[in-house]
Amino acid sequence: MSRTLRANLVTLVLIAPALLLLLAVFVWPMGYYGWLSLQAQSVFTGLEPVPVGLANWQRLLGDARFWQDAAQTLRFSGVSVGLELLLGLAIALVLHQRWPARGVVRSLTLLPWALPTTVMALGWRWIFNDPNGPINGLLQSVGLATLPFLASPQLAWIAAVVADVWKTTPFVALVLLAGLQMIPADLYEALALEGGHSWQALWRITLPLLRPYIFLVLLFRLAQALGVFDLIAVLTGGGPAGSTESLAVYAYLNAMRFLDFGYSATVMLGMFLLLLLSALLLLLWRRAAEA
Amino acid sequence: MTSPSLPSDPISGGPMSRGPKASSAGSTPASALLGRILAVGLLLFWSLGPMVWQLYTSLRTPEALLAGWAGLASGWTLANYTQILTGDPPFWRYLLNSFLVGGVSTLLTLLLAIPCAYGLARRSGALRLVMGGTLLATAVFPYVLLFLALLEVARHFGLANNLLALCLPYAGLSLPLAVLLLQAAFAELPPELEESAVLEGLSLLQRLRWILLPLLGPAVFSTALLVFLFSWNEFPIALTWLSRSELLTLAPAMARIAGSSVYTVPYGAFAAATVLGSVPLLLLLLVFQRPIVAGLTQGAIKG
Amino acid sequence: MTRPPRELWARRLALGLLAALVVALLLPVSIAVARPAVTIRVLMPAPFVDATAATVDAFNRSHPRLTIAVTRGPFETESVSDLAISSLLLGDSPYDLLLMDVSWTAKYAAAGWLLPLDDRLGPDPLAGVVSGARQGNVIDGHLWRLPMVASMGLLYWRTDLMERPPRTPAELVAVSRQLQQQGRVRWGFVWQGRQYEGLICDFLEVLHGFGGRWEPDLTPGLGLEQPEAAAAAGWLRQLLVDGISPAAVANFAEPETLQAFETGDAAFMRNWPYAWSELQKPGSHVAGKVGVTTMVAEPGQSPAATQGSWGLSVLRGSSHPDQAVEVLQALTGADSQRRLVKDWGNTPTLTALFEDPELLAASPTLPEQLRALEYSVLRPITPAYAQLSDILQRQLSDVITGGLPAAQAMGRAGQASTLLLESTGGEGTGA
Repeated sequence: MSRTLRANLVTLVLIAPALLLLLAVFVWPMGYYGWLSLQAQSVFTGLEPVPVGLANWQRLLGDARFWQDAAQTLRFSGVSVGLELLLGLAIALVLHQRWPARGVVRSLTLLPWALPTTVMALGWRWIFNDPNGPINGLLQSVGLATLPFLASPQLAWIAAVVADVWKTTPFVALVLLAGLQMIPADLYEALALEGGHSWQALWRITLPLLRPYIFLVLLFRLAQALGVFDLIAVLTGGGPAGSTESLAVYAYLNAMRFLDFGYSATVMLGMFLLLLLSALLLLLWRRAAEA
Repeated sequence: MTSPSLPSDPISGGPMSRGPKASSAGSTPASALLGRILAVGLLLFWSLGPMVWQLYTSLRTPEALLAGWAGLASGWTLANYTQILTGDPPFWRYLLNSFLVGGVSTLLTLLLAIPCAYGLARRSGALRLVMGGTLLATAVFPYVLLFLALLEVARHFGLANNLLALCLPYAGLSLPLAVLLLQAAFAELPPELEESAVLEGLSLLQRLRWILLPLLGPAVFSTALLVFLFSWNEFPIALTWLSRSELLTLAPAMARIAGSSVYTVPYGAFAAATVLGSVPLLLLLLVFQRPIVAGLTQGAIKG
Repeated sequence: MTRPPRELWARRLALGLLAALVVALLLPVSIAVARPAVTIRVLMPAPFVDATAATVDAFNRSHPRLTIAVTRGPFETESVSDLAISSLLLGDSPYDLLLMDVSWTAKYAAAGWLLPLDDRLGPDPLAGVVSGARQGNVIDGHLWRLPMVASMGLLYWRTDLMERPPRTPAELVAVSRQLQQQGRVRWGFVWQGRQYEGLICDFLEVLHGFGGRWEPDLTPGLGLEQPEAAAAAGWLRQLLVDGISPAAVANFAEPETLQAFETGDAAFMRNWPYAWSELQKPGSHVAGKVGVTTMVAEPGQSPAATQGSWGLSVLRGSSHPDQAVEVLQALTGADSQRRLVKDWGNTPTLTALFEDPELLAASPTLPEQLRALEYSVLRPITPAYAQLSDILQRQLSDVITGGLPAAQAMGRAGQASTLLLESTGGEGTGA
């Protein structure tokens, strides 16, 4: 046996188990959805698959609810990831300073990120309660009317954004913090010698050098936010008036409550395509930004 | 993407930089200190405020909660905790289930990820590039999309309502990040180290076990913590794979508690559950802050 | 390279712990296998677990070789269904019997999860059942479910604030407004306005009160694209606009509604029969000051009470169907219902029990409940009901929170419902 062949074989043996599991968990499901989206499998077929061609896809195109949910999911993702980026950057800059007990502050800041989403979503439901939650309690104590955070379509999605920002900003901050620590200090010193201001330092040194980190955190967070499920399922269940329903919640309802598996798979593939599109736009933006 | 080189612990070992704020000229030390204290205070209020409110709620009687801010002198109780801990099943059962699933998933993930990362790190060229891209794509993939297909898997192979079986998809979902992290760590080891071990006649398994892994201790540990956190918190798959209440892990149990109020809205009990569900993670964070932070930041860069 | 012994011990300890955990997990399984007698497992929503506990105890004592094991489900109706569905989808369901809401039956039967009860319960199992609880059990010619408790929407009113309850929507608003202006109550009418199944139940009563209908065979739009539907939804919205109902009603389910009424904050409440006994408990500000009647209706229209009965079905996957039927009969029988009425304020399904003097003494609203049952209306019976309900919930919620004008929203709901039935092949599969 030649040495390269042997080395290849060893590599194969080393990565094969992991590769197989990845295939089973990520690749097979997408193929299965592709097949399932061409079937009717629902209560009307006794839960048995019956080929129906493109009927599910036709229904998807004409499904106002799918498109409304898609728009809502995009709005939710855009706003919360944007806020997370701004807030995360601010927090990273604070955490980057040197002061005593920084380690403890860092781990306490990280707490929201480490908690299960369902745990903290239940907590936020109580915080947003009308009229007994703390925010409404505060409003009442200064003589203002209470706000129906979870009962108003205009407010409920903002409540979801607040809870999501609270939960995931620590993650963003941490990644950006890692980026900050990569920036050589002498760059700032050089700028200070030229008489540059601290805002100039932020614009001319910090942000350009953070760009790879910002891109990475955007990619990661956007993908996760577009798939938002746990938070919505526990905080609002998608209401009121479906104003907080995300595509993942819609797909889940179609499968587990409506027992319409063919359509659920179609909704998920539709969501996957939207996701790919967003990732592509992000890549194009990055290329443009680099040029 | 190009990856800047990174010391194993970016928190303590990162290059010193004073940051943009520190370099600002003209601000007096006193006002800078005040601003800093204010910033940190705000940050802690934002991060911990909601949790403190849950703690407060969990210790209040229902009447005290409805009465608002007045009367802080009375209305304190531990009844919410007794209620949660004597429920059917008792709350600690969910914590135990999550702990078991988290532990086994972590072991399984490491078992698969370490050889894979080692194999990839030793290679260069097309395979590594393709695998790197695939791993990144799967690492950011919103896994909620997989629940229906995984439900079919559970049904077909009879894996439902089995905590150990649940560790299989968890390991699969954690693999991409774990391999990326470990591969980066392997790549940092000097190749001479292994070459000399080969000359000494150590087999692949021996080299991995006695030379490489001990050096990778910190990276393996922080990867393990991240995988554990993921498995502890996972919701949609647990929701579809587990239906027996005594087998529920923490995340679906919380969602079910949210829908289980009888006649009145038991926010005190909800809050007690929230607090009990948070304590293990708070401890984990306080004890293992450094490796978790290191793992997260490393993963971000080496992706 | 040698390893320090301490590390070795730590590893052995960890392995030992893991092995112990695995054994601990497998142990209950082996015990279950060893048990000789038959156990029938029942899934019920949490409140019914408590309410049937005495019956279950008595049964288990008198049947040494047949044990009923009840699983406590969540409180919310849809959460119980979600739980049941998730275990049924996984196959190998751990339950033999399921306590089902009337609106699930068609879906579960179409999915093939239920055992037809036709030949197992004698010639006419529904003979003694009151008419308002008889519907919704026979679908496509098969009996799938036997009702255990009847339930219907009621209008609760404060006997200390008025002589007699309002009969029309206009009256309800006028009385509320007057009481609010006098400062005797903060709110007029509290009801279930959250986007969930309860909203549909409330709406259905108002819809009938305005002369409308919601049925799968009606065109266009199952009856939703009619002016009556718009009028009914518009009236509910107007309650919030006029301050008769608090804005928070748009996020109220039964518990929040009950809480608001119990504190004496409201003059009227829409709720189910069980609320009456809750309101008589110590701590309630309105104990002894509450009457019940049917929901208001426009002059010339008859009032309506949404049928919300709970009944037992045998799951097809049960390995002991005969014993399951025996348990079903015990739980739906007269003795069981008597306890449910006397101790828990539920409504019986057996006609004879409505005239039982002992029960009348314990539950003085029984005659009014029987009257309401005569006006009971059913939600559409079709396997696609969950979707139809969801479509309507969403549009109703949009109306109530001021997002869309009622007519437009009901038009959308009607169109979406028609489209759904067309595209899923569920057209005309009504009962």
